[in-house]
Amino acid sequence: MKLPTRFPSLTALCLLASAAVIAAASAQSGMYRARLSEVPVTPQTYRTITGVGEVFATLDDSTLSLTGTYQGMSSAASAAHVHNAPRAMNGPPIGALEVTPAPSGELSGSLELTAAQVEALRNEALYIVIHSENNPGGEIRGWLLPRE
Amino acid sequence: MKSINPKYTARLAGTSRLFSATVLGGLLLAACSQQDSSNTVDPGPRTYTTAQAETGAELYAANCATCHGAELQGTPLGPLLSGEDFLSRWGTQTPAALISNIQTNMPPGGNENLEQADYVNITAHILATNGMIPGQVALTADSAIEIAAYVARTGAAPARQRSEPEAPQGLVIEGTVDDYVPLTDAMLEDPDPADWPMIRRDYYAHSYSPLDQINTGNVEDLRLEWVWSMKDGDSEPAPIVYNGVIYLINPSNIVQALDAATGELIWEHHSGPANRQDMRNIAIYNDKVIQATTDSRLIALDARTGERVWQTVVADVSQGFVNSSGPIVADGKIIQGQAGCARYIEANCYLTAHDANTGERLWEFNTIAQSDNPDGDTWGGLEDIFRAGGETWITGSYDPELKLTYWGTAQQKPWAPPSRHLTINDVGLFTNATIAIDVDTGELDWHFQHVPAEALDLDEVFERVLVDRGDQKLVLSIGKHGILWKNDRETGEFLGYTETVFQNAFTDIDAETGLVTYREDIQNAQLDQWIPVCPSSTGGKDWHSMTYHEPTGTLIAPLSQTCLENNAREVALVEGGGGLASSRRFFEMPGSDGNMGKLGAYNVDTLEEVWKFEQRASYHTGTVSTAGNLVFAGDLDRYFRAHDVENGDVLWEVRLGTSVQGHPIVFAVDGKQYIGVTTALGGSSPRTVPRVIAPEIQHPDNGNALYVFSLPDQD
Repeated sequence: MKLPTRFPSLTALCLLASAAVIAAASAQSGMYRARLSEVPVTPQTYRTITGVGEVFATLDDSTLSLTGTYQGMSSAASAAHVHNAPRAMNGPPIGALEVTPAPSGELSGSLELTAAQVEALRNEALYIVIHSENNPGGEIRGWLLPRE
Repeated sequence: MKSINPKYTARLAGTSRLFSATVLGGLLLAACSQQDSSNTVDPGPRTYTTAQAETGAELYAANCATCHGAELQGTPLGPLLSGEDFLSRWGTQTPAALISNIQTNMPPGGNENLEQADYVNITAHILATNGMIPGQVALTADSAIEIAAYVARTGAAPARQRSEPEAPQGLVIEGTVDDYVPLTDAMLEDPDPADWPMIRRDYYAHSYSPLDQINTGNVEDLRLEWVWSMKDGDSEPAPIVYNGVIYLINPSNIVQALDAATGELIWEHHSGPANRQDMRNIAIYNDKVIQATTDSRLIALDARTGERVWQTVVADVSQGFVNSSGPIVADGKIIQGQAGCARYIEANCYLTAHDANTGERLWEFNTIAQSDNPDGDTWGGLEDIFRAGGETWITGSYDPELKLTYWGTAQQKPWAPPSRHLTINDVGLFTNATIAIDVDTGELDWHFQHVPAEALDLDEVFERVLVDRGDQKLVLSIGKHGILWKNDRETGEFLGYTETVFQNAFTDIDAETGLVTYREDIQNAQLDQWIPVCPSSTGGKDWHSMTYHEPTGTLIAPLSQTCLENNAREVALVEGGGGLASSRRFFEMPGSDGNMGKLGAYNVDTLEEVWKFEQRASYHTGTVSTAGNLVFAGDLDRYFRAHDVENGDVLWEVRLGTSVQGHPIVFAVDGKQYIGVTTALGGSSPRTVPRVIAPEIQHPDNGNALYVFSLPDQD
């Protein structure tokens, strides 16, 4: 028996549902990059707050996976975190990352983001901070921005 | 008994020999008098103790030497604090004023570890190094003696700076510019294509040359024609060219006339003071070169011979007033802006006009609305003496048809509202505004305040570019916020804006009125609270002029991408106080990918960005464009480049002796086109901020020079 033509077929409904799932997944995915550079410095501190880095991040649904490298910090890295604040602002940490305990090394990690945190990521309001022995408040940082 | 540092003992011995007989005699008489009356021991001059200076030396080394040098000799990060430079600024003032100034403003990164007693001791060290004689009475924060009265001017301090001979004064090299033709008003209104007769070349500040011999098709063949070394010191020069002669301002207030084709020196005049302070430009009118000096004088030199014709004092340098940019000559009047208006003193901050033939002051416009002014109620009821800022430290532009001269004004001082005892609602006219002044009367025709109650050292003071598009007469400007503003220059009406770099100071800019709304935390900022903001105090845009390329209707601006955190310090409302009063720290602009330098090209009709060119090194020259469809710019990393005006592509580049800094010029002699550019050192935020954010960019700490390029001669 054929369904009335004014109703969509089951196949069509399945296709629509699939498309919706894909769209939803697409909305919850994305690739991001952060350039890490020194936290705010002064003429008195710029020689003791040093280093650069680069972090790549992929959002899959609500899972944010991050990998990156850094070089040239003034001392061994002691911790790395993802923080929540708009570009150039300061905000609280929302998760920790693994980091090589050395002035240069790698970092990686995976975070389950809340819906608000996913929205923050889309609004360029998540950033990464690497802390060091000499600069426990943070030595280098950078905002996650969409990869072009 | 505390030991005496041999350094200070030796200086005291040397100083004593040189100390004036009058002062010593006075001290002896005072001592005798005291002995007669009370039989007590003479405490010596009431200056500072050697122990204070010793302690201060250690504090100075830990907190100040990074920027000002271990010997107070100055570095690229901070000015020298010794010798005539220091004494001309502070000699007539009191230690109390000096201590207050240092405590209010230094060190720039914050002072949480320094108590007032530490500042007193640091000041004792500075005074000792400058040859002030010590005594038995300790320096205190309210010391009211005159500094110069206790300093042996020929004592140890100058010898500590550098072993240079005494600077010459007056006409040092004699010569004559042959066949000189007086430069008339008409010639300034429509300059000969071969000339660059004022800063930014024309009254409209286009920094555009109609010459096209050098163009996109042959610029790759440019090669050095000649180079001329310039005097050491802070330098952001804007050479001018008239009738085959380059008139060149050097540090130490030296003006030179050079044959523009060969680089041969014709004459050289030293107006003094011989210091390392910056002066951007001079002017030329009729038969005179007009020079503003760093100590706030105006001087006219004979353009033919360099002989001084007249001089006049614009403002009192001992009150803190200085000039850092020179004048524009409009309708026969020399119009000069003023800088150094951050102190709480009776004197006001003026734009002045002077008769070009005599220097006589014709009018003055006070950029700070006083309490008896109709706009004087915009300062929150502050007494007039505590209304500070509003400097006109960048040379203005001029519309000969409207007879209006257009200047940007700097922000209120101190930098943050809580430091100046005001709120974000106390807008402080006429600061951070475009002001249009009638050149005949000096009266304000209109003003447009771009950022009222500025809160983060982001002034909107830079050049006003005058553009005609159809019937529209426009004035365009970019301040440190990096916002390109478009206004009607007949009325001041706001016509539009665009953001040239990332900014987060404002959450809204009204599209109809241009009214800005500060971010809430900036509105509510209190003392001792770190406030992040982009851009930083180096802009957005700073003193480096943008160019208007009329054939394509494009503005090309040298921009900068860094950010800062600002922390407002407390400032007492006391006469002689004031200052800037913020701690600052700097960081890369997120989203710039570490590129501090940006050339941005903008369509003046739509304000849309046409192209951009970004790089790690910050730009340190203005941009100039030509009818050959080229844009030239130079940077901190010693590169001087030619770009295609249509798309920003690099068509030619050369690497020079040190950082490329100043205002490039384009000119012709005997039908041959040349490009000139200066290398230079010094500057405040545009130099300091890249230095701490990108210390890997290195360049020699000397090498001020003028380079001139041309195409090979054709056989």
